Amino acid sequence: MKRITSTIFRMASVAALGLLGVPLDAQDRAASPGLDMLELRLQDDRVLFNAQVKQPVDDDLLELGRLVAMGGAQSGGSAMACFTCHGAQGQGDGSGAFPRLAGQAGWYVYKQLIDYASGDRPNKVMSGIAQRLTEAEMEAVAVYYSAIDAPYRAVLGQINGETLQWGGQLGAVGSAERGIPACVNCHGPSGTGNAPSVPYLAGQYANYMTYQLQLWREGVRDNDAMNVMSSIAGKMTDEDMRAVSEYYARVRPAERVIAPLDAPMAVTIGD
Amino acid sequence: MAYETLPKTDVVIIGGGWTGLTAAYELAHTGQRCVVLERGQKRHSVTSFGAPEEHDELKYALRYGHMQDVKKETLTFRNSRDQQALPMRRLGSFLPGTGLGGAGIHWNGQIWRPLPSDLAMRSHYEGRYGAGFLPDDLSIQDWGVSYDELEPHLDFFERICGAGGYAGNLNGAARAGGNVFEGPRSADYPNPAMKQPISNTLFGQAAERLGLNPFPMPSANVTKAYENPYGAQLHPCTYCGFCERFGCGYLAKADPIICVYDRIKDHENFDIRFHAQVLRVEKSSDGRTATGVVYQDEDGSELFQPADTICMSAFGLWNVHLMLVSGLGTPYDPETRTGTVGRNYAYQTIAAVDAFFDDSVSTTPFMGAGALGVVVDDFNGDNFDHSDLGFVGGGYIACKQYNGRPVSYQPVPEGTPAWGGAWKHAVRENYGHHGDMVIHGSSVSTPENYLDLDPTWTDAYGRPLLRMTFNFPDNDRKMSDYVMNRAVEIAEEMDNVTSVSSFNLAAEGQDYSIVPYQTTHNVGGAVIGTDPQTSVVNRYGQMWDHHNVFVFGACLFPQNLGYNPTGPLMGLAYWTLEHMKTDYLQNPRPLMDA
Repeated sequence: MKRITSTIFRMASVAALGLLGVPLDAQDRAASPGLDMLELRLQDDRVLFNAQVKQPVDDDLLELGRLVAMGGAQSGGSAMACFTCHGAQGQGDGSGAFPRLAGQAGWYVYKQLIDYASGDRPNKVMSGIAQRLTEAEMEAVAVYYSAIDAPYRAVLGQINGETLQWGGQLGAVGSAERGIPACVNCHGPSGTGNAPSVPYLAGQYANYMTYQLQLWREGVRDNDAMNVMSSIAGKMTDEDMRAVSEYYARVRPAERVIAPLDAPMAVTIGD
Repeated sequence: MAYETLPKTDVVIIGGGWTGLTAAYELAHTGQRCVVLERGQKRHSVTSFGAPEEHDELKYALRYGHMQDVKKETLTFRNSRDQQALPMRRLGSFLPGTGLGGAGIHWNGQIWRPLPSDLAMRSHYEGRYGAGFLPDDLSIQDWGVSYDELEPHLDFFERICGAGGYAGNLNGAARAGGNVFEGPRSADYPNPAMKQPISNTLFGQAAERLGLNPFPMPSANVTKAYENPYGAQLHPCTYCGFCERFGCGYLAKADPIICVYDRIKDHENFDIRFHAQVLRVEKSSDGRTATGVVYQDEDGSELFQPADTICMSAFGLWNVHLMLVSGLGTPYDPETRTGTVGRNYAYQTIAAVDAFFDDSVSTTPFMGAGALGVVVDDFNGDNFDHSDLGFVGGGYIACKQYNGRPVSYQPVPEGTPAWGGAWKHAVRENYGHHGDMVIHGSSVSTPENYLDLDPTWTDAYGRPLLRMTFNFPDNDRKMSDYVMNRAVEIAEEMDNVTSVSSFNLAAEGQDYSIVPYQTTHNVGGAVIGTDPQTSVVNRYGQMWDHHNVFVFGACLFPQNLGYNPTGPLMGLAYWTLEHMKTDYLQNPRPLMDA
């Protein structure tokens, strides 16, 4: 759908240019990027960082990110390389301890590393790792994981339809009766996340999400920007947590269509 | 028309917004069987107002998805008595809501208190400046209830909302950083103030350099997880920028559904009927009391709900309309200046100042909230010397960041063309470099601004439309201009500002127009007081002419404050309910001698 819209838009603008034969004043393309360019940029994963990175987001940064992910770093590495648990492609595993990182919002991942290092997000394993990374390395590895993609693993285990239905309902509309706001309020339609600060849920591991909800409910984790998640998790039962996590573990984001920046126009008129 | 008579109830409440649901909560808990009649639909903040669906600016902000349907009920409007009034066929200047929660769903959450001197406006000005200070053509009067009497109730409503702020006067001791002009608070706000963005902060710093007293705007956009006295659990605000004209699906903007309705809906004394359009209030044969209300249900049937006590909790304008079509009280006649129902209708002045920053200051207008502001109150009420100004009243100056929504938020410097390439370029250049200031001014009452029934037009139910006759009094035009110019001075004092522009919607020489949106703070028409010649209800909110009718809302204000009305009108509501619960209901009678 996205591709169709943008193609139509390009056709329209090209047609207008061709017919009139002069650039339109209303959109000065020389002074600023056109809409189609902005749209392409929005689809670029690296934009998901969307916060000030102290270094240019380019291939060098991604290369440094890959290096950190593989265990290399200025302070002799993180002792445990990211890929050993989260995988080279950031696919994680389903144990509950190692979330999927591939394509996660860059700034969100970076903030988690900062919070692990400071103890704002307590975690015995990740604190030590994060403390051995420089800030530049945190940025780099966050950008790296935000920019890569990985296949989804098959969802393990059986879950009954009613539980899934309830999870989907909590996700989409919440519960008026219990005062639980819907996940989609912040995590976006289909749980795709809302960069820079709100992570995706779709395709994340159910055990990991359930565990995090429990940590929020117990007050162990409270490092989201306004501490909204503690209020929400505090109203959820174990069954609610399981249902909504199992539901989102099975949701897949719509296929992203990323056209290369130098892609030719779909249709050219007037030449 | 024939109607079916329903079994009698103790209390019937017209309207399911802030005041109606609160009345039901308080009265049901004292053993009164309450029936709430709500003309709109049932809805719930969690399931009806969730993003991303709710964040449809076109549907809700521009096409008024939550507002009342003017095809069924509206009013006619004219600027003065020598004009023919015409129906308002589209919403514009003000936006009354409909449905459960009423306008309390789409409010911004700015939760103010009146100044002590506001509540005794006439005696205050005459005391400070002399008996002849107020011109004869202003019908300003005292409220008949004092700040000290209202304080516990204003405080309680702030607790119901989980208000965030910083007290400027705690038990009589002034505190820098809060509003040093406010009346004494018995306790600090239940929650801390909101986090302020860059433009608001620069405004506060500039105001301080000018010797003014900036403070964070009091907010019902909740800043921490909070449980209110009724047991409602509110969540922290995420600064999503969709407050005004939208419902909040985050449980973060206090509204009547989550704060009150959820906590009373299962009570045995509580009954609510939706799509129940109240047509009129019926009176007893001697006319001294009301016997109940006639309403039309969803099927179009007319039903009579008898009750011992009636609470009028519709939007202020429609409370007045119901009184007029039901023959409650005596209609105001501007010719003879007698009668009270419809008298002292007042509005509010709005002026705006825009400051534009250079590239070194990047604002993030999309991170907003309805009560996200830094305010100076130095030019509100009688906080400044009016001796030689030629007007009374004032307003607050706020630098605010409500939202940066794509359709409506396109600030550009003065002199920018209104369309085309240059306009687009200016929008792009300035979107993230804008300081947004508003002046929210008071409005005095005059004998010529009033509400009555229209002789020509009728609504979908066959009733004459309410007719509004209003223009800004010269007093308010001068006041708005004066306070706006003080805001311009602050804007010019701000750092990194490249240009400043200002606009007064109540400018001199320009008639009030009902078309562009200004504010939904319509007040008066059924005012509170101690003299039955000049007020519809006594100081307890009880109608002078029909002692079992109690009136709620901003229609009670004898003239308008330089503040948003929800806090003050809810303070009055709790004051009225306290006297109903502790006195009237045990012994129904007029609580004051006429």
